Amino acid sequence: MSAVLINDPAGDPRIAGRAFIGRAAQARLGDNLFAGIPALWLFVFFITPLAFTVVFSFGHSTFGGIALGFTFDNYRQALSGFYLTSFLRTIQFAVTGSALCILVAFPAAYFIARHAGRWRGVLLVVVLIPYFTSFLIRVMSWQILLQRRGPLEGILNFTHIYSGPLDLLDTQTAVFIGIVYAYLPIAIVPLYVVLARIPPALIEASRDLGASRWRTLVHLVLPLARPGIATAVLLTAVPMLGELVVPTLLGGDKGVLIGRAIASQYIQSENYALGSAMAVLVLIAVAVIVGALARLTRSFAEVSA
Amino acid sequence: MSTVRVSAGRMPNAGAAALGVWYALVVVFLFAPIAVSIVYSFNLGTLGKQTALFTGWTTEWYANAWNNQSLRRTVQTSVVVSFWAALISVVIGTALGFALVRHPNARVRGALSGLTYFLLIVPETVTGVSLLLFYAVTGIRLSLWTLVAGITPLAISVTALIVRAGVLTLDRRLEEASADLGGSRLQTLRFVVLPHLAPAVAAGALMAYVFSFDNLVVSAFLTTPTVNTLPVYLYGSLQYGPSPAVYAAATIVFGFTIVLLAIAGLLYRVVRRRGAGASPSRPG
Repeated sequence: MSAVLINDPAGDPRIAGRAFIGRAAQARLGDNLFAGIPALWLFVFFITPLAFTVVFSFGHSTFGGIALGFTFDNYRQALSGFYLTSFLRTIQFAVTGSALCILVAFPAAYFIARHAGRWRGVLLVVVLIPYFTSFLIRVMSWQILLQRRGPLEGILNFTHIYSGPLDLLDTQTAVFIGIVYAYLPIAIVPLYVVLARIPPALIEASRDLGASRWRTLVHLVLPLARPGIATAVLLTAVPMLGELVVPTLLGGDKGVLIGRAIASQYIQSENYALGSAMAVLVLIAVAVIVGALARLTRSFAEVSA
Repeated sequence: MSTVRVSAGRMPNAGAAALGVWYALVVVFLFAPIAVSIVYSFNLGTLGKQTALFTGWTTEWYANAWNNQSLRRTVQTSVVVSFWAALISVVIGTALGFALVRHPNARVRGALSGLTYFLLIVPETVTGVSLLLFYAVTGIRLSLWTLVAGITPLAISVTALIVRAGVLTLDRRLEEASADLGGSRLQTLRFVVLPHLAPAVAAGALMAYVFSFDNLVVSAFLTTPTVNTLPVYLYGSLQYGPSPAVYAAATIVFGFTIVLLAIAGLLYRVVRRRGAGASPSRPG
């Protein structure tokens, strides 16, 4: 408190006033540098490239190059035939993959939040470790696991859960196993956060009033967990829309998703305009998902919390 | 106390046990591929190729990976690229994390947090192709630096969110007290803010390094024959029957990542504990 008294502006209005202005200007400069430098960097290396993609999605592809212009041809092409199929398949893939992820994650998150006691932190970190290790290494190991005569086949045959050869690699099932695997840890975190916040007394009250466990789950836990579910969908479905690695490594050539279709437009066909239009469509799909989730939880603040 | 008894009586152990079993299965599911990649890095393989069948133990693939010149070069490139990406990201991400909480204008704070979350939700494939197009159209030749610049946005958002958590635990009155005592803005930053944020900044730097080192999708679009990173190299080699040396390299990277993560985790705990320690001393 003494510091405030010594520096009391009432003591000497002139000096205090001047010091105050100097400091305020200094603070403003500092604040603006702190906000401005990141904004500038991200503008140059992130926003501008995205803007290029949007602009050129209306342009024309020339032989191995691109020309500015205004046409919807690229979109017309991106929304027809093979490309439309892969776009729709990608949306279906992201929705299914995200739903599967949350189905697997929810009971695990519930266990950590409700039954782990003081081990909560440890149990949460354990499921998070894989997420922070190399994505590629983890996915490529599934190639070994799922292969014919691989470890999974061995275990299933040995335990008589399933007998005979396992033909999983290069199937859609393998892609779903891989995608759920890859995004499971980041689905668990937001679910854990909301579930840990539900007061245990509420659940007990519901049970005391005679609600079955199922009813308590559906009418109490799930509505309260809504923001966490929305965040989990956001964190899993959105990256799945652009997924490139998992389908390529585990799905073989079957069912090309839009991520790979875009990559091949840029790298093999060098049709930048068509590739850009497809990339913009993915961004639109992302925006639709984010908008729907924001509406579901009423405010975006809740989603990002 | 009574609530504990009620819940213990009500939740017969069956429900909790079932959930516990589910959690255990999830852990097995998550760690199985990691275990497999470690075990199979010792696999003899067949004709120098990795096979699903474990044909015998050997450590020769580690020597093989060590002596592989192109593998070595990609590791070197990866180390250099992720070092610079982490350095740039930690400086810019720290400034961003600070501004997210402390910028006086609410509209600026809103715009910055919108930008930060936008960075996280744009699929990497889209970022990657956009950068490729951007560099192609502007005539900037792909190099180590274009790759570094390309992978920074993601690392910046990760660092910014970690630093933001640190700033949120920093009692604003400490900064005011420093200013009241005549400290300049720079002195306040140097002697009050940065020491408090140091663990968060260091954790952010390590995470930025790990994220940049692991980056595959954006890198895949921006690498050139001379600037090739380890994940891109490994990904390429997977297309035509990988040698177990790839798994040996992967295992080394895995061990290395775990060490960095452990350090980042410890630092993050310091940040959190400081936040927890600060609250009881706050009056009201």
